[in-house]
Amino acid sequence: MSALALCLALLLQGEAPRASDAEFLRRATLDLGGTIPGSDEARAFLADPDPAKREKLVERLLASPGYARRLEQAVTVMFLERRSGGKIPDRQWSEYLRKAFETNEPWDRIVRSMIAADGREDDTRPAMKLLADGAGGDPNRMTRDISRLFLGRDLLCAQCHDHPNVKDYKQAEYMGLFAFLNRSKLQDDPKTKKPVLVEGAAAGKVEFASVFSPAKKHQTAPKLPGNDEVDVPASRPRELLAERLVRHPQFARNSVNRFWFLFMGRGLVHPLDLDHRGNPPSDPVLLDGLTAGFVESGFDVRRLVRTIVSSPAYGRGGRAAPSKPLSAEQLAWSVLTATGSLERVRKAPAGKFSAGKYLSGKSAEPPRTLDDVLQLFVDVFGNAPGEPEVGFQPSMTHALFLMNDRLVLDWLRPFEGGLVSRLSGRSGDAVAEELYLSVLTRMPDAEERKEVAAALGRSGKGRDVALGELAWALIASTEFRMNH
Amino acid sequence: MSYACGGHDHAISRRHALGLLAGAAGGLLAPNVARALRSKQRQVLMIWLDGGMSQLESWDPKPGGDFGGPFRAIPSSVPGVHVSELLPFTAKRVHQLAIVRSMQTKDNSHSVGVGRIQRGDPVNRGVEYPYMGSAIAKLLDKGDSGLPPYVLIKPGSSGFLASDAGFLGGRYGALALGDGRPPVHIQGGVDAELEDARQALRRSADARYRQGRGDADVDAWEGCYDSALKLMRRKELFDETTVTRSERERYGSHPLGRHLLQARRLLEAGVLFVKVSSYHWDTHADNFAMHQELMPQIDRPFAALIDDLEQRGMLDHVVVLLMSEFGRTPKINQRWGRDHWPEAWSLALAGAGIKRGVVTGKTTPDGSAVAENPYDIGHVFHTVFRAVGIKPEETFYKHNGQALAIARDDMGPIQEVLA
Repeated sequence: MSALALCLALLLQGEAPRASDAEFLRRATLDLGGTIPGSDEARAFLADPDPAKREKLVERLLASPGYARRLEQAVTVMFLERRSGGKIPDRQWSEYLRKAFETNEPWDRIVRSMIAADGREDDTRPAMKLLADGAGGDPNRMTRDISRLFLGRDLLCAQCHDHPNVKDYKQAEYMGLFAFLNRSKLQDDPKTKKPVLVEGAAAGKVEFASVFSPAKKHQTAPKLPGNDEVDVPASRPRELLAERLVRHPQFARNSVNRFWFLFMGRGLVHPLDLDHRGNPPSDPVLLDGLTAGFVESGFDVRRLVRTIVSSPAYGRGGRAAPSKPLSAEQLAWSVLTATGSLERVRKAPAGKFSAGKYLSGKSAEPPRTLDDVLQLFVDVFGNAPGEPEVGFQPSMTHALFLMNDRLVLDWLRPFEGGLVSRLSGRSGDAVAEELYLSVLTRMPDAEERKEVAAALGRSGKGRDVALGELAWALIASTEFRMNH
Repeated sequence: MSYACGGHDHAISRRHALGLLAGAAGGLLAPNVARALRSKQRQVLMIWLDGGMSQLESWDPKPGGDFGGPFRAIPSSVPGVHVSELLPFTAKRVHQLAIVRSMQTKDNSHSVGVGRIQRGDPVNRGVEYPYMGSAIAKLLDKGDSGLPPYVLIKPGSSGFLASDAGFLGGRYGALALGDGRPPVHIQGGVDAELEDARQALRRSADARYRQGRGDADVDAWEGCYDSALKLMRRKELFDETTVTRSERERYGSHPLGRHLLQARRLLEAGVLFVKVSSYHWDTHADNFAMHQELMPQIDRPFAALIDDLEQRGMLDHVVVLLMSEFGRTPKINQRWGRDHWPEAWSLALAGAGIKRGVVTGKTTPDGSAVAENPYDIGHVFHTVFRAVGIKPEETFYKHNGQALAIARDDMGPIQEVLA
């Protein structure tokens, strides 16, 4: 795939209308920074006459601390699927991954350490979390997760028999991957008491039979799909797997597809873990081009992200805009930013908050710190552990929370630096403008200005209450709930 | 195998998205189950006595023998059918029930048994099957009650138990009402006038967004607010001060009694599947004193519930299932307890699609084994599905392109209890 063909493919994606400056600012800030921008930032961007301001915005965001934090959160949700706790503290994993994105560590190196880490060295122990906690140290779950997350192939059915509908997914493929992992065992190191994912001595090939023909035995040595069998290594087969996995063509392709999904809301191959001949990519040329570019760049994540968000496809507007829900983390940051509460929670002293107790009515201890707020939003808006967050999956409990949680309602009351106080000090059209810029990152249209004026005019409960009401309605709206 | 449609969630629109999430992991392939149902929507009440109620101290007494224990058997309202004397109130309603005395299941541990039994002991297809409540919600919910389709009333904490739904995806999980209490956020944060005003502003913002962006996301998110507002308007369902003194007396003021009364109210309000869980039935020690204490807590309110359902005409459309994960050993251990016994135990059914006043199955004289018509939990799933109008042999879940049976395909319904 030549650079020219890639350019062409990207261009062909871009026939739809272009996003407005406001749309682009909100989208890119959420995707690359994990939050909506503040109203000052929005005002400045909209007023900036520089024709290259979008490119400059992207560069600024890619270099900001928000970028590493956002990618860490997104990849954590994708890989661990909200399985928190376990052997490796969540914080250690987040810190490790955030640093990796901050220093732009090549993606193949990051993944290699996730597969190979055995917990014997402090610096790579956090990377072990994917297999130790995500897959619970179970060789079958590891096999399944590695295949899904890194090869884009959900081999669940193939554990017991060839996949009934997907011709490409054979039991032999599952077992070939399993043969790298079947000696891995999660335990606590007797000396250090720290968790380790040890690998026992080589046990030869794996023998298996389909449940449909249990008498017919097969065997396989460790093997990746399309590769040859490898000699059973005497020690640390996961290290060998890690090396081979990141060189497998499906690895780069699946990685690109997953990053594309994070920014576009849908994979070029979709579902993300059903890549096979019967389910071709929506744009094969583009996927091949991006994949080749990713490999050539030495798995440079920041560069891949820049390519994706600079593409016309990403920059489309209106109905053609890429649309995805805000993640629980993006929602927390965005509500805090919109209501002007971010500084307040950042400065708050830690208490003993437990989201579980708070949400079951067992404890009245309110969330105070940014971490508390994030924990609460993840508990309310995150999926159940083990459920991938793909697509918009809203629930009644989400709506009840936004409607009635006293924390959210508190943020909509007047306080120093808060949204309602800021609005309170303005008059006329300036109220609607500040409101819309703060919450929806755009200017209000004529109808919206009128609506704001009317709501303030008829308010019998005082102006601040009416302002809180107006702000709530925008925060509760679909426009706020989605990144579009 | 023929499928009426190959679509993903074909029957799910925003009106169905109660409690719920749009875009689930598991699709459904069924020849429009819901449409096939006549007249009144069928509902289910499952009463789950966690730990294992003793069949010998309830439905299948064996007085006099080595293992019978101290309690007598008393005649019931069905000639020739006796139940334990610990069920004096229920004994008078046996003509409304179908009793199965020949349950024979596999697991004798709670940790495995509870999940396996409540998922219908499915054949391992590499996926986690849904609990019965999630299955019924998936198969039957039309969303027109405006209430969550699967509600669990239990002691302890509230929450949303997405894990009950297994591969169907979190939206089919259970809304758990700890001690019957509603979700914490059901309490309105603002007064009614303000609520109306802010919701009107929200809808108007959504209407504008809809013009530029299409309907799907707006429908999904608006449906959640609609559902939330509906539930908030039904706070009286959770208000125990509206319970009359006579109801309180008939059901009892202990948790199981209050929860069964709450269940009746939720069923009346239209909740599709209500499960009431009660714990502490695991009587490894002092089985007899414990059952003397425990049985009245189910006997009286269960009888009251059957009366109320009958009186309200609800036995025609509500299926009632009373069971545990297993029964208890006929052999009495050294601590006067009975241990776990999946080999031969009993459960009771009643209501829609169920014959009234029948007993099926038989255990050996000492109660240690099934003598006639052994039934597994798969048969019970078939029976309940049939009773609510679902044909398991024609209805499949669709998951990752695989068609998955909704109940064990090597089993069928308990014909003797089906009306």
